[in-house]
Amino acid sequence: MSVAARRRPPLRIRVSSQVTRMDGPLLVAAAGLSAIGVLLVWSSTRLWNGAESSAFASRHLMNIAIGVLLLAAATLIDVRWLRTLTPVFYLVSMLGLVLVLTPLGGTANGSNSWIVVGGFQLQPSEFAKPALVLMMAMLLSRTRENAGKPRIPDLLFALGAAVLPMGLVMMQPDLGTTLVLIATTAGLLVLAGIRKLWIFLLIAVSVSGAAAVWFLNLLEPYQVARFTAFLDPSTDPRGVGYNSTQSLIAVGSGELFGKGLFHGGQTTGRFVPEQHTDFVFTVAGEELGFIGAVTIVALLGVILLRGLKIARESGDRFCALVAGGVVCWFGFQTFINVGMTIGVMPITGLPLPFVSYGGTATFANMIAIGLLQAMHIRDRTFT
Amino acid sequence: MEESGGRGPGPGRGRPPGPRRPTAGPTVRPARGSGRPTPVGRPRPQQPPRAPATPTKGTPPPQPRRPAAARTPPRPRKRRFAEVRLGDPVRRIRVALLVMAFVLSLFAGRLIQIQGLDSKTLEARGLEYRERLETLKARRGMITDVKGNPLALTSDAREVYVDPKEVAKSTKPGADEVARFLAQTLQRSPEEILAKLKKTTTQYQVIARNVDPAVGAQIAAKKWVGVRVKPHYRRLYPAGDLAGGLVGFVNAAGKGASGLELQWNDVLAGKDGKQTVEAGQLGERIPLTRSAREAPVPGKDLRLTIDGDIQWAAQEALADQVKRTGAKSGSIVVMDVRSADLLAVANAPELDLEAWEEAPEADRTSRAVTDVFEPGSTNKVITAAAALETGVARPDSVMRVRDRIRCADRVLKDAHAHKPENLTFSGVLATSSNVGTVMAANQVGSEGLHRFLRAFGFGDRTGVGYPGEADGLLPAPQTWSGSQRCTVSYGQGVAVTALQMASVYQTIANGGVRLTPNLVAGTTGENGEFVAAERPEGVRVVSERTARELSLMLEAATTQGTGARAQVPGYRVAGKTGTAQRWDSECRGYCGYTATFVGFAPADRPSVVALVVLQAPSNGYYGGDIAAPVFKRVMSFALKSRKVPPTGTTPPQVRIRADG
Repeated sequence: MSVAARRRPPLRIRVSSQVTRMDGPLLVAAAGLSAIGVLLVWSSTRLWNGAESSAFASRHLMNIAIGVLLLAAATLIDVRWLRTLTPVFYLVSMLGLVLVLTPLGGTANGSNSWIVVGGFQLQPSEFAKPALVLMMAMLLSRTRENAGKPRIPDLLFALGAAVLPMGLVMMQPDLGTTLVLIATTAGLLVLAGIRKLWIFLLIAVSVSGAAAVWFLNLLEPYQVARFTAFLDPSTDPRGVGYNSTQSLIAVGSGELFGKGLFHGGQTTGRFVPEQHTDFVFTVAGEELGFIGAVTIVALLGVILLRGLKIARESGDRFCALVAGGVVCWFGFQTFINVGMTIGVMPITGLPLPFVSYGGTATFANMIAIGLLQAMHIRDRTFT
Repeated sequence: MEESGGRGPGPGRGRPPGPRRPTAGPTVRPARGSGRPTPVGRPRPQQPPRAPATPTKGTPPPQPRRPAAARTPPRPRKRRFAEVRLGDPVRRIRVALLVMAFVLSLFAGRLIQIQGLDSKTLEARGLEYRERLETLKARRGMITDVKGNPLALTSDAREVYVDPKEVAKSTKPGADEVARFLAQTLQRSPEEILAKLKKTTTQYQVIARNVDPAVGAQIAAKKWVGVRVKPHYRRLYPAGDLAGGLVGFVNAAGKGASGLELQWNDVLAGKDGKQTVEAGQLGERIPLTRSAREAPVPGKDLRLTIDGDIQWAAQEALADQVKRTGAKSGSIVVMDVRSADLLAVANAPELDLEAWEEAPEADRTSRAVTDVFEPGSTNKVITAAAALETGVARPDSVMRVRDRIRCADRVLKDAHAHKPENLTFSGVLATSSNVGTVMAANQVGSEGLHRFLRAFGFGDRTGVGYPGEADGLLPAPQTWSGSQRCTVSYGQGVAVTALQMASVYQTIANGGVRLTPNLVAGTTGENGEFVAAERPEGVRVVSERTARELSLMLEAATTQGTGARAQVPGYRVAGKTGTAQRWDSECRGYCGYTATFVGFAPADRPSVVALVVLQAPSNGYYGGDIAAPVFKRVMSFALKSRKVPPTGTTPPQVRIRADG
C-alpha cells in the first residue's frame, strides 16, 4: 500500500521498462525448450523422403519466430484491455472451432482439426486453450461492484464457457485436447477457490460422465485400444501397444548421455510414430539421454513453477487465474505427454509444449508465455 | 526463487507478509461484512481490512491477523445467497506446487528406471527391431572356352521392386504417377505396373530385374516411398547358342538349372556373404550404424576344354546338314585323342541361352551326352577288336561272306545284296559287312563280345560330368535273344550316347587306352590362379597292337570302303560309317535311320577324333553319304585350327578282298 502510494504507475506503457520487468527464468526456460525442440525436430525429420533434411526444422524455427512476435504482443497488452477483449478472443476462437467442422476443415489422422487460412494451416483447438483460460478467468473473477466475490450464476457461466469448446473439440474428434480443456477448467475452478464440496461434486459428475462414456461405447475403438494397451503394452507389441513399446525402447536406449544427436537408431529408423510431434520426447530420451530428458522436464518445471509464482503473487484475481490456468494447461499437457512416452500414462495425442513440432501449438504456447509475462509485469506496475 | 524480486525476507515461509506486499494477508483476513476471504490477490488500498466478525469471538485482535498462509481461514457462519464460498487459493496453489514436484520427481524416477536399470534390456529389444540380416550375393564365376572367351558371365544389374502397401500410403507421387514413371523408364506397360501396385496387401512386387544400373540409379534418385532398387547380378550368355546345351543356364534365382551351370553350380556360385545392418521401420538402412560383415566369396571361373572356334564350325556344319537332310536332330563330338578333352559338343537344334525359356524341353540339354541311339555299324569296330584280341581273326584273315546269314529265328542281311565274296577281315570292316561281322562275333561268343562292349564303356556313363548323362543300354548277354546275339555285333540291340561312341574311337586312336572325356580344363579362383581339373588315369582296353591294326582297318574303310567321303585332303583319316535302323518312340518301332560317321586323324598319329550323328534324316540316310561329309568339314577345320600337321606318309596298302 505504501509502495503504491510512493510510486504511481505510469499511464503510458514504456516498452523498455516492460522488458526489464519480464520474468527472466520463464523466458529462458521457454527459449531453451524451443531450441532443444528445433534440434529434436531436425533429428527426427532429417531423413524423410522427398524433403530437405532441415525442412521441418527450419519451418519449426519460423513458427517459433512468429510465436515470439505473438509473445511480445501478449506481453505488451494492457491487462485491462485484455480483460475487455477476452469475450472477443473467446468468440473468435469458438468460431474457428466451428469452422473446422464445416467443409473448410481439413482432416489429418482421422480427425478434423485444421482450417487453412491464407495458405497457413491453423489448428483452432490450440487457440481454444488460451481463449478458455482467459474467458474462465474473466468470469470467475467477475465481481459485482462492492461485492468482490463470484456468484453462482458466474460459476455456471464459467462452466458453460468451458463446456462449449470441449464439445466442439470432441466433435473433431480430438480426445487429447478435450482432456486438456477439462483439466484446465478443473484446475481453474480449484484455483479460484471453489469449496471442496463443489470440487467433490464436480469430480463425481466427471467420473460418472467418464463411466457413461466408457460403458455406452462413445469412445472410438482406437481410443479404447490405446487404453487397454496402456494397461498392458505387451498384449500386442506390434499392434496397439506398438507406440508405447517403441517409445520405451527409444527412451531406454539413451541411457545416461544418449546416443548423440542424429545417432539414435530407433529415432533414425522411424520406429516411433509421430516422433517430431507427440513423441518428440523419445528423441530426447534416445539421443540426449537421461541428461537431456531431465533437462527438458526441469525446464518445463521451471515454466510451471514460475507460472504458479506469478499466480500467487498476483494482486489481481483475473491475473492470478490466467496464470494459474496457463499452468494447468501446460502442466497437464506435460504430464500426459512425458507420461505416455515413459509408459506411465495412456497414449493420447498431445504435443509436448515448446518442444513438439507444430505451428498453431507453438503460437498458442508463446501467447501463453506472453500472458504470464503480462500478468507478471502488471503485478510490478501496479504495486 | 520466491525470495527474488526485491521483497523483504520473511520468517521462513516463501511468502512473507512483509509490509510492502502483504500478499497473503487478504486471503486470510476476513472480508468485510460476510467474513469470507477475498479472492486471490492483494487488497485494494482503498479497502481497509476489517475485524473478523464472528469466528474469533472473545479474542479481540485489533489489527489484522497474520497467520501462516497454510492456516485455514475461519469459516463464516452466514453468507448471502448465490455467493460462492471459497477455499483458500494460495493454499491450493501450494498443493498444486507439491503435486507438480511430486509428478516431476516421479518422472525423473521413471527415467532412471528405464534409462538406467532397464536400459540394456530395452536397447536389446530395439536392436531386435532394427537389426536385419542381409545376404551379400557372391558374384557367379564365368564360364569360358579353352581360350578364355566367355560363354557365360555375370554383370551388375538392378532389380526394381515396389512395396504396394507403402506406395498406397504415400500421397505425394501417387500410384498413377509411379506407374507412369516406371513404365516410361523401364519400357513396360503402365497397366501392368499399376496392376502390381494395386496389390496393396503385399509388400514385395518385382517390377523388373536385370535393369541397367544407370536406369536403376535414375529410379532410386526419385526417393519415392515404397519404390526401391537393389543390386542384382545378371547372367549373360554373350555367345548365345554357342555350346548352349552344354553350358546350360541359371534360373530366376541365379542358380544353375541345367548343363554345366548346374553341374558346377557350387564352384561357380561361390559363397554368399552376410551382413547385419540396422534398418528402419521402412526397411531403409540407418546411416551411422555399425554393421558386422562377412564378405562374400565370389565364384570361380570355369574354363572348358571346348574350343569356341571348333565348336562354332561344328555347329554350323551340323545345322547345315540337319537342314539339308531334314534330320530330326543331330550331334557332333570332337575330342582330343591324347587327353580326351572335348573340343566341341554340338547339337542340332542348339539351345540359345539368351532365350532358353522359349526352347522346347528336349532341346534344353546336350543330346550328345543325354540321348541314346542304336549305333549301327560304327559298333563293328568293337566286334573287330574282340576278334583280334581273342585271336579268332587277323586283319588279313579271309572269310567267305554271303549277303545273308541265318541267326536264330531271323535272316540277317547286308545293306546291299551281293554274290558271296572272299573278304579279308579288314574288308569286312571296310565294306561294313553285317554278315562278316556276325561270323566273327559268333566265333568270339556273346560273353566275349559283351566283355569288350563293357570295356569300351558301354552301359555306363563316361564320367564326363554332365547332368543327365545317359548310361546307354547294354543288356546282360544271358538276356540277349537269339538274334540279338548277332545284331549286337553290328550295333543293333544296344544303345549308346554319341559321347560313348566317340570315346570308343578315342580309345583305339589312343593306342587302346580309354580316357575319361573332359569338359572342364580347370578353374580360376579369386587370386587369378588357374587350377587344372583332375584327370583320371586311363584304362587299357585293347593292346597297342590291336589298336594299331584296328586303325589300319578303319583307314581302309575311308580309302577303300564306305567312308570315302570322310577323307580330308592331305591327311590320313581312319573312320567308320554307321547306318542304323532307328527306334522311334513316336511310331513305336523302327522308323527311319541313324546316320553316323566316327573317326580320327591323322590315322598314323591320331590327334583329333570326331563323331557326327544325324537322327532320322529324310533326304538320304547312309552314314557314308550324309554324315561323312560333315565329318570331313569339321575334321578339316579342327586339324587346321589346332595346327595339326599332315604326317606326310602314305597309307599302307590294306588288302580287303582275297580275290580282288
